[in-house]
Amino acid sequence: MRSTTKNPLLKVVILGDGGVGKSCLMNRFVSNQFDEHSFHTIGVEFLNKDLDIDGQTYTLQIWDTAGQERFKTLRTPFYRGSDICMLTYAIDDKTSFKNLELWRKEFTYYADLKENNQIPFLVVGNKSDVPREEREVSQLEMETWCNENGITSCIETSAKNASNVQEAFKMAVQHWLRLESRADKNETATNDTVDLSKKYGDNRMSCCVGGSEESSN
Amino acid sequence: MDEEFKDYIDIFSQDGVLLKQAPSSFIPFINAIGTIYIWSTETNDGTRPIKRFLEWKPNDVTIDSDVQDQEWAVVNTVQKRSRTLSGNLPADHYNKLRSLKINFEDIKRVAKKNRDLTFFDGSSEPMCTLLFQHGDCFYFIDLLKTYLSVGPSRRDKNIFIVYDADSPEYQELNKTFAALDIKPNDSSFWTMFKNIKEHPYESSLMAFSKVSTYVYRSVEPGNNDILLNDDLQRSLSEIDDNITHSGGDYELVQKPPQLPKRKEFPRCKPLREEQWKAQFTCDGKLEDVESIKTLIFRGGVSPKIREEVWKFLLDYYPWDSTLAEREALVIAKVQEYYDMKLQWKSFTKAQENNFSDFAQRKSLIEKDVNRTDRNLDFYAGDNNQNLQKLNDILMTYVMYNFDLGYVQGMSDLLSPILMLIGNEPDAFWCFVGFMNKLISNFDIDQAGMKDQLGNLFTLLNFVDPFLAKYLETHDCANMFFCFRWVLVWFKRELKQEDVMRFWEVLWTGYPCQNFHLLVAVAILEHERSELMGNDYGFTEILKHINELSCHLDMDLMLNKAEGIFFQIKEADHLTDQIRFIVGLPLIGNHCTDSHELIHFDSPDCLVSSESHPKCSVDRVSISPDEISFDKSIQSNFL
Repeated sequence: MRSTTKNPLLKVVILGDGGVGKSCLMNRFVSNQFDEHSFHTIGVEFLNKDLDIDGQTYTLQIWDTAGQERFKTLRTPFYRGSDICMLTYAIDDKTSFKNLELWRKEFTYYADLKENNQIPFLVVGNKSDVPREEREVSQLEMETWCNENGITSCIETSAKNASNVQEAFKMAVQHWLRLESRADKNETATNDTVDLSKKYGDNRMSCCVGGSEESSN
Repeated sequence: MDEEFKDYIDIFSQDGVLLKQAPSSFIPFINAIGTIYIWSTETNDGTRPIKRFLEWKPNDVTIDSDVQDQEWAVVNTVQKRSRTLSGNLPADHYNKLRSLKINFEDIKRVAKKNRDLTFFDGSSEPMCTLLFQHGDCFYFIDLLKTYLSVGPSRRDKNIFIVYDADSPEYQELNKTFAALDIKPNDSSFWTMFKNIKEHPYESSLMAFSKVSTYVYRSVEPGNNDILLNDDLQRSLSEIDDNITHSGGDYELVQKPPQLPKRKEFPRCKPLREEQWKAQFTCDGKLEDVESIKTLIFRGGVSPKIREEVWKFLLDYYPWDSTLAEREALVIAKVQEYYDMKLQWKSFTKAQENNFSDFAQRKSLIEKDVNRTDRNLDFYAGDNNQNLQKLNDILMTYVMYNFDLGYVQGMSDLLSPILMLIGNEPDAFWCFVGFMNKLISNFDIDQAGMKDQLGNLFTLLNFVDPFLAKYLETHDCANMFFCFRWVLVWFKRELKQEDVMRFWEVLWTGYPCQNFHLLVAVAILEHERSELMGNDYGFTEILKHINELSCHLDMDLMLNKAEGIFFQIKEADHLTDQIRFIVGLPLIGNHCTDSHELIHFDSPDCLVSSESHPKCSVDRVSISPDEISFDKSIQSNFL
C-alpha cells in the first residue's frame, strides 16, 4: 500500500466457509456498514483500516477470499506473509464450524510460516444475532475446539448488529503483539529469565493442557 | 514412406530434454520433458545419401491423453515411422504418442543460449527450442557438427549456421577462414567484435579498418562475400540501433517489434426488430445468420427482441431451425426441465441427510441466491418469487450436471438471463448454453482459469510488452487480479444493462475466439499509466483493478479490443501461439501467407456477408478451452 504513515502494517486473512460472513465482518469493521444482500466474493479483495491499541496505530490490511473449496488455488497464494488469521464460522451452521479444522490446516500449509513462529489464529463465530433456536454451535464448543487446537483467542461476533466486531480485530492484534513480544523475549532469553508472557498461554503447550483463560466471555 | 524409415538406427539419445518452443500442434507438449534422438540410415550403400533426422519424444506416455485424436506431426516433413522405439507397448500407444521430428537437411541455423538450443529452417520463426536440463548441450552440438557443415555465425558465436558441404559458399568460407586464420572461438576477430559491442567508440575505428580489410580482401565478390558483408553491415548497424548513449554508459536496448497502427471501431446501433424480422423466411428460418451475428457483434440487440435473439445466441434454438421445429423443441425441453426439477424436489429430508454432496450444494446455492443482484428491483425484497426461480434453476442444473454441481459465480451468470427471460424452463436452457461456453472456468482444478489467465498474459505481452514486463517484475504475471473479470465475463464490473449488451456481443464469437481476453488487454492498456505511473505493486494493482468495477466504459473497451484484434492479426511478427489463442489459422512452417486464410477483415467486409464465413473461429479445431474441458471431463471419470 502507499503508506502515507509509518504505522506497522499487519496482514489479516479472513478464512471460512462460503456464507459465514467474512466480507460482512470486513465491511463492518472497515466502514461500519452492513448489507445482508451484498455479493459473495469472487476472487480476492482487501481493505485497509487503522486501529489504535495502547496509543499505537496499526494499519490492518484485511484480505477477504472466496470460500468455496474450488477456488483454493486462487486464494492460497495470498496466505504468505500473513500476521493474523481469522478462522470464521457461523454459529447457525454446524458444518462451517466443523470445517474450521480444514481451514486451519490449509492456512498452516500455505502461509509458509517461519519455524517456531506460532500462528496467530483467532476463531470468530459470526452471526451471534440469530435467534437462540437457530444456534447450532455453542460457545462452549468453540472454546473446547480452541483448547484442543492450542488457539487462545476466540470470540462471537455479529457483523449485522456490530457486536464484538471491533473487539475481534483488536483481540487479533493484541494476540499478535503477545506472540511478537514472546518471540523477541525467546530470542534474548536466558535460563534465569522469567517469561511473564507465559500466563497468556504457551506456544509449546501439550495438547492435554488447557489454556483458555483468554477466551471470550 | 514407411519403408524408407525402417532402416534407421538411433546414433544418439539424451534424456531430460524439455520442449520449450514448438509448432502450435505441439502446444500441449510445451514444457514436457522428453528424450532427444538422432536417427540415421544404417549404411551408405552408395545408392542414396545417408539420411538423418532429429526426434524429440515426450517421456510420459500419459501426457498424450489430451491429444490422442491428433495425428503424428513432423516439422517440415510429414512422415510416419513404422519402427517402434522400444519395448512391446500396444500399437495404439504409438499412434497416440506424438514426436517432433526434424530432418537434418531442413536445419539451416541453430542458436544456443545457455542450455537452450533453437532450430531454424531458414525462416525467421524457429522450428523448436529444446532445453537440455541435465547439463550442457556441447556434446550434442559437437555431434551435429560432425554430421552437418556448421559454422558459427559471424554475428554471434552462439549461432551456428548450417552450410551445404558441397556448396561453393562453404568451401569458400572455409578458405576465407583459413586465410584469415579465424578460429570460431576467442580469435582476434571475435574479440574485436566483442569490443565493438562493449566499447563502441573506442573500438570502432580500429575495428572498421580490420573490417574493411576483411571485406575488401575477398578476391571475388562471390555469394559468401556478399553474405559476410551483409552480416557485418547488419551487425554494425544493429550495434548502432541498439545503443543508447547516456553519459558514457552504453546500454543495449531491445526494441520490441511494432504492431500496425490501431484502427477505430466505433460501436454501431443495436440490431433492430425490423432487421431481425426481415431475416426470417416464411417457415420461420433465419436466412443470413452470419450477417445477423455481425450486426449483433457491432451493436448488440435491441431490448425489444433480446429475449428471442438470446435463445439463438445461447444455443437453445438452433440457428437453422424452422418455427415449427422450435415450437416442438420448446415443448420437449420444458418437459425435460420439469422432470429434472422433480428429481431434487422429491428428495426426502432423510435422503438429503444421507447425501452430503447434494446437501452442501443446496446450502451454498441458498446462501448465494440470497446475495445475487439484490440491489436490482427484479431480485429485491424478501420472498421474491424471482429468487425462488434463481434457486430452482441452479438446483436443477445441479441435477443436470452433477459432476460440476454448483460453483460460485454461476448465480452471476444466470441472473441477467432469468431477468430477461423470466420463464423458468427457457431461462434454464439458455443458462445451460451459457455454461457450455464457460464450463472450463469452473474446472475442479481451475485449469481452465489458469489457462485463460496465462493466455491473457501472453496476449498482453504481445500487445504491450512494456506493461507485461512491468507486471512480471512486480509479481503480477499470474494475472490473478483479472480473475473476476474472466470467471464471470465482467459481470461484477458492469451495470446489468451493460452486462447484457456485453455478453450478447461476446456470444457471437466475433471477431475471434477469446475476445473477452482482448477486452481485458484493452482495459489493462487503458490503465497502464495509472498502474505504472504510480509504481503500483501487487496489492495496489489488485486494489485498483477491483475498484474499476462499475467505472468501465464498455463501448470504448469493445472498440479498443477490436482494434487490438486487427493489430494482432496484421502484425508481421504474429506467432502461432497468439494465433492459437485467438483462433486464427495456424501457419506452422509451410504456410507463409496467413492473410489469404483470414476472411474476417474489416467492418465493411463484415456487413457485406456473402458466401464464406467471415470468422475464422471454426477453422481451428482445438482451443485451449477445449483442451482443459477435456481435462476436466477426464478427471471427472478418474
